[in-house]
Amino acid sequence: MSKTSRFVYVTFIRAAPQRVWDALTQPEQTRLYWHGVTQVSDWTPGADWKMTFADGRIADAGRVVEIDPPRRLVLEWRNEFMPELKAEGFSRCTIEISEEHDVTRLAVTHEIDVEGSKLIEAVSGGWPMILSSLKSLLETGAPLGEPLNQDA
Amino acid sequence: MASDRYFYVIYIRAPQETVWRALMEPSFTRRFWQETVQECDWTVGSDWLLRIPDGRVGGAGKVLEFEPPPRLSVSWRNEFIPGLADEGYTRRTYELETLGDAVRLSLTHESDLKGSKMIASVSQGWPGILSSLKSLLETGEPLDSTRTWPRGF
Repeated sequence: MSKTSRFVYVTFIRAAPQRVWDALTQPEQTRLYWHGVTQVSDWTPGADWKMTFADGRIADAGRVVEIDPPRRLVLEWRNEFMPELKAEGFSRCTIEISEEHDVTRLAVTHEIDVEGSKLIEAVSGGWPMILSSLKSLLETGAPLGEPLNQDA
Repeated sequence: MASDRYFYVIYIRAPQETVWRALMEPSFTRRFWQETVQECDWTVGSDWLLRIPDGRVGGAGKVLEFEPPPRLSVSWRNEFIPGLADEGYTRRTYELETLGDAVRLSLTHESDLKGSKMIASVSQGWPGILSSLKSLLETGEPLDSTRTWPRGF
């Protein structure tokens, strides 16, 4: 019996893989659809990675484990602003982008070696909202509005 | 209690009434759900059927719950893939909730069988179909990937 907790989310977006990649990694784009957050990293293997809220607090931090633009990104990821989640330590978030039938398939797998993880429970609620908002941004030019997409 | 379960949530910027209709009405489902239509009078206990464009029955069951909107549940047995049809009935539930300018659509598809092949199969299909529904309602066009029934399937 594995003790890993895992959440997988798949969505299909009418936009080129590179556009999806850019929207996931460029600060000026993420803050539009992702609760106002900005990611800071120089996006090389082993580089530090962090995500900050609009007010400057650090939301999550870790490092880049693997990066292969615009196909694959693996992040080591620890929550930094909720003590109960931070205590679980580092999770792993794998982002996979591929092209299928003229649409881009985006799969996010977020996992941690903790049974019944509170972090995975939290991100299970968050990812569908964030990725729905990303899809709206790329397909219509506008992300989802509040309360789904408001500064945390 | 169901022992195998697929759960998916997607947020769609559209009125709840529109999302509700799109989940049922042929003029919508043909466009985002691979040209299929559902044949049903949408009352609790009535027969429910998923019609494949070549005339075959894709799935069949009964309406278990109908509270328009937010909740619709049907029993569903696959009728065209031998290994899946043998598994008997699954249960698929949609739930809708309005949040700001969007609707939270949740889908639960569950079976009493552990290791259900049917649930494994639908878990591959639902993200594409519901992503296409979101595209249709937000942009007027579904995704190309779900416009037509897959050839040879």
